Amino acid sequence: MKKRLTDIFCIFQIHLARLRRETGPFLLAAIVFPIGMYLFANAIARQSAESVSNNEKLHFLAASMVFSLSLTAISWLGYLLLENRFTGRLKLFATLPLAPSSYIFGVLVFALVQGSLGIISMLAAAKILGVETNISGFSGVLSFILIILVAQLALCGISVIIAARVRSFSEGSLYTDALGAGIVLLAPVYYSADALPAVLHWLGYILPTTYIAAAINKILTGNPYIGSEISILIMMAAILLATGFRVLNWREE
Amino acid sequence: MSFSPEKKIAVHVNKLFKRYKNGTEATSGIDFTVNCGECVAVLGPNGAGKTTFLRQLTTELKPTSGAIEIFGVNAIVQPNKAKHLMGVTPQEAGVFETLTVREHLELFGKLKGLDKKSARDQTQELLKNLELENEEKKRVGELSGGQRRRILIGLAFLGNPPLLILDEPTTGLDPQSRRTVWLLLKQIIVAGTTVIFSTHYLEEAEQLCDRIAFINAGKIIADGTLQELRARFPDRYRLSYLNGKGQIAMPHIEFFADFAAAREFIGAKEISEYQLATTSLEDVYFSLIGERLQVEEDKK
Repeated sequence: MKKRLTDIFCIFQIHLARLRRETGPFLLAAIVFPIGMYLFANAIARQSAESVSNNEKLHFLAASMVFSLSLTAISWLGYLLLENRFTGRLKLFATLPLAPSSYIFGVLVFALVQGSLGIISMLAAAKILGVETNISGFSGVLSFILIILVAQLALCGISVIIAARVRSFSEGSLYTDALGAGIVLLAPVYYSADALPAVLHWLGYILPTTYIAAAINKILTGNPYIGSEISILIMMAAILLATGFRVLNWREE
Repeated sequence: MSFSPEKKIAVHVNKLFKRYKNGTEATSGIDFTVNCGECVAVLGPNGAGKTTFLRQLTTELKPTSGAIEIFGVNAIVQPNKAKHLMGVTPQEAGVFETLTVREHLELFGKLKGLDKKSARDQTQELLKNLELENEEKKRVGELSGGQRRRILIGLAFLGNPPLLILDEPTTGLDPQSRRTVWLLLKQIIVAGTTVIFSTHYLEEAEQLCDRIAFINAGKIIADGTLQELRARFPDRYRLSYLNGKGQIAMPHIEFFADFAAAREFIGAKEISEYQLATTSLEDVYFSLIGERLQVEEDKK
């Protein structure tokens, strides 16, 4: 158990070194797109009404937080995992007495730190933009932390599966880039499910981003009770990560 | 992880086959044994199956059939247990460029099971032995290709494993760096570590190894000490000469069973520019690979 924890911490430290050296560009990237999308959504809403209510602003903020999580957990973590696999770094781990699960857990811990930094930056940016959040007391904060963690686990599961299954770096990059933005823009995150064409309604049910957005929106508007969303997301995270553990194998066949 | 030094066999491979899904047979029934403390070089042309063979030993690649034992541990059934007993330098591995040289070695030392102090001490020793002391605080991304290669070699040495498997460890190193690595390898061979490495530098095999195994078309076609391999080659002298003046051409090569016959040939042909030497490992290599290619051609 001690060896396993040491392994996980070492893997985390190895990846953290990169974030440590590139914190500035990371934070810039983690908030530029989502804040851009927030401002864009506000501008569209303002065209159809004289002013945008704080609840609408919170809805767009929740959506942009989902965008930030998706970018960090799928696009950037996916890129990192692909880099490890296709530049031969994974070989270094594969030749060590190290369980593949320790590698994944180490990377997950790193992803949680990375994603959380993005979310903290988003909250700070929202404050600057004058958005008033109504996170209600301790239970609200706890629910917020919980949903951010579970959401990242579910999204990281997608990255692990992509990085383990694709045949080339370029193929993997296309998937992570497309999905990082795609699962936010194709789900009812910025807009309601009714706005989607009928043939795409099913997407709203299967994409984790739908539930993450709904839960964050509830918490930001003062409702900490996210039982149904968190249950679905825990189930999704379990399925996606279990699949990720299964497909990532040190040994080539 | 401990192992029993009284066991004389470090690596035992029996009827190792690797057939890929597309039907390519990369190793075709290799039988191979390495005794404790031996240093064995694996030689062969590109695509002969050297890396595939070594990757099966390191448990990276699952064999189609056959058996691999590392100090008595079944490496196919218990890969993690076997990996505790070896240090590996893969042929095409990448390094983590944002770590400093010291961080890289220390963190991988811990991943190999060393405690903090041992990881630090071994890192210090390796930095000195690999002549990377002045680079310890530099980020790996700032280093030259040769320096990065030396880090990869250093990673294999961490934890003092009883077996080292190095796939073309000195490829891309300048002559001075190569000699640094040779010196380090010699030290650990003297200390009793078993070493298996592949190389294209025949001089490296001659300098370091007790035994040499030639692989071609996924099979070991010859395996023995340098003397045993040379004995398979009947001609002891190699004459290299230029025929004619002012030519820009490849030198002619002739082999002779004895010195007198070579001298007679030089006199009869009135050769003025020549080099006469005893046959080398390179001659044995070309002879074996050439023979093998001829056999393959005949089969077709």
